Amino acid sequence: MGRFLKGLALVVIVICCLLPFWWLFVVSLRHRVDIFAGPAAWPTNPTTENYQALFGQYHMGSFLINSLVVVSVSVIISLLIGTPAAYALARFDLPGRLGSVGLMSALFVRMVPAILLVVPFYIALGRFGLLNNRLGLIIIYTGINTSFVIWMMQSFLAEIPKEIEEAALVDGDSRWSAMWRIILPLAGPGLAATAIFAVIATYNDFLIALTMTSTPKSQTVPVGISTLIGKIQVEWGPMAAAGVIGAVPIIIFATIVQRHFVRGMTMGAVK
Amino acid sequence: MTTELASTPAPDMSASPPRRPWDFDRLLPYLLVIPAALALALVSIYPIYEAIKASFTKYLYGRPVGSAGFSNYIDVAHDPVFWQSMGTTVEFVLLAVTAETVLGLALALLVINEFKGVKFVRLSILLPMTIAPVVVGVIWRLIYSSETGFVDPLFVALGLGAPRVLSHETSAFVGLVVVDIWEWTPLLFLIALAGLQSIPQEPLEAAAVDGAGPVRIFFQHTLPLLIPILAVGVILRLIDAIGTFDQIYVLTRGGPGTATQLISIYAYNTAFNFTDYGHGTAMLIALLVFVSLLILVAVALMRRAAARTS
Repeated sequence: MGRFLKGLALVVIVICCLLPFWWLFVVSLRHRVDIFAGPAAWPTNPTTENYQALFGQYHMGSFLINSLVVVSVSVIISLLIGTPAAYALARFDLPGRLGSVGLMSALFVRMVPAILLVVPFYIALGRFGLLNNRLGLIIIYTGINTSFVIWMMQSFLAEIPKEIEEAALVDGDSRWSAMWRIILPLAGPGLAATAIFAVIATYNDFLIALTMTSTPKSQTVPVGISTLIGKIQVEWGPMAAAGVIGAVPIIIFATIVQRHFVRGMTMGAVK
Repeated sequence: MTTELASTPAPDMSASPPRRPWDFDRLLPYLLVIPAALALALVSIYPIYEAIKASFTKYLYGRPVGSAGFSNYIDVAHDPVFWQSMGTTVEFVLLAVTAETVLGLALALLVINEFKGVKFVRLSILLPMTIAPVVVGVIWRLIYSSETGFVDPLFVALGLGAPRVLSHETSAFVGLVVVDIWEWTPLLFLIALAGLQSIPQEPLEAAAVDGAGPVRIFFQHTLPLLIPILAVGVILRLIDAIGTFDQIYVLTRGGPGTATQLISIYAYNTAFNFTDYGHGTAMLIALLVFVSLLILVAVALMRRAAARTS
């Protein structure tokens, strides 16, 4: 293929990937009257009125706070309980294929589409009075994130040579202190990447939050965005602004963990 | 480095100083695993138990009113809308995943070699799959809309009629497939790229010296080595695509008519709009059995790929 054709193809590809994002951004900056006057590729006469409406009458502030609380608490807990389990699975020979069973069930939880679990989650949370409650969401997300943390961290920890730990054990360290003193610092970058992936997946979740919550008291950002789409009327401007707010943090995080994306999406199978 | 996937547990290295039968180091593995195991059980075993129970219960206006025996399952088997939704889902998944695989591979071949700006191109291709599916839905709602979008004006400028993509059955279905392709080709692209980068170059160079053209090298040497890794992406995408919900909820809610009503949308409506949890869970359990089989295939493929990309 000629250099020119290849260059042309690359330009078209980048435009296909990025133009939809630009479109979202442009609509979010346009006045209501301008939106109805017809489409535009450039924000002529830009305004922040959509963003103001979003944080005023459309509760975006509470959606963001709910997302922040639910995402951070569930990711922190799942790192705290998932990383030790990943270490055990990567380093110890658990009897009776317990290790394989553990990894398999973790994989199952991660891979099964959410639609297959939301009805029973709904029934279960209803039983404990945790519907429309951030705690209910935190419990579910913690479980799902734990499965992801186990797989990712297991894959990162398996890359740390065992000899390093063995040396520490020979030097008289206990396994516990070797884990904290030697392994955890070495696994730091992997831990950070895992945390960011868990944040992305949790912040982006829609179906579970949609089912378990019903008011701005506990609805998260994606659910909040969907409330702007009425059956008859769509609030284009605020909806686009909400889309921008939903996308920007994730684009930043994704850029940071770009290098690890394949591993994150295939749970360590492909690097 | 090889990832220790389920098949090969790491050798026990606790052969260190003398110790008592039940010392802390011996118990440590179990103490490390138990909290995570409980968390996992809470979101897998428990909900599946609840779902099985609900699928054998008769519900009236969202309240359990007694045992249903197998009647929920029999109702599902005789429910024409269930089978129609399954058909739509299969069509959607096959169309989208095939296109994503071909496009992803083509893109990976295009940017496999380093050039100025390659990082920017790769990041651009990555972005669509990172953002929330709901935001993807919002973006394409804007694009397809006749008020805010560029699709209708583009067709008019080309002298064709405005398609009003989401208002007609066929175009709405195709429109949703296009959205899925935009969102998920990046995944297949990334996996194909990682696969291409892991293929040793010497045999390819040797074949080139022997006079093989680039097309022949690709089909005879590159593709066979790539398939085990690409297969992981395809199966992960298949499983995920079966559950596609968010984008459709935002874009069409299954309409117009039932043109875009995938099984996820139908099951959701059955359970939450018609509050028939029995019928809904019976449907989902049937689907769960099917998806679990796919997950088993996925695990086998992932195990094989992990051994290759190390």
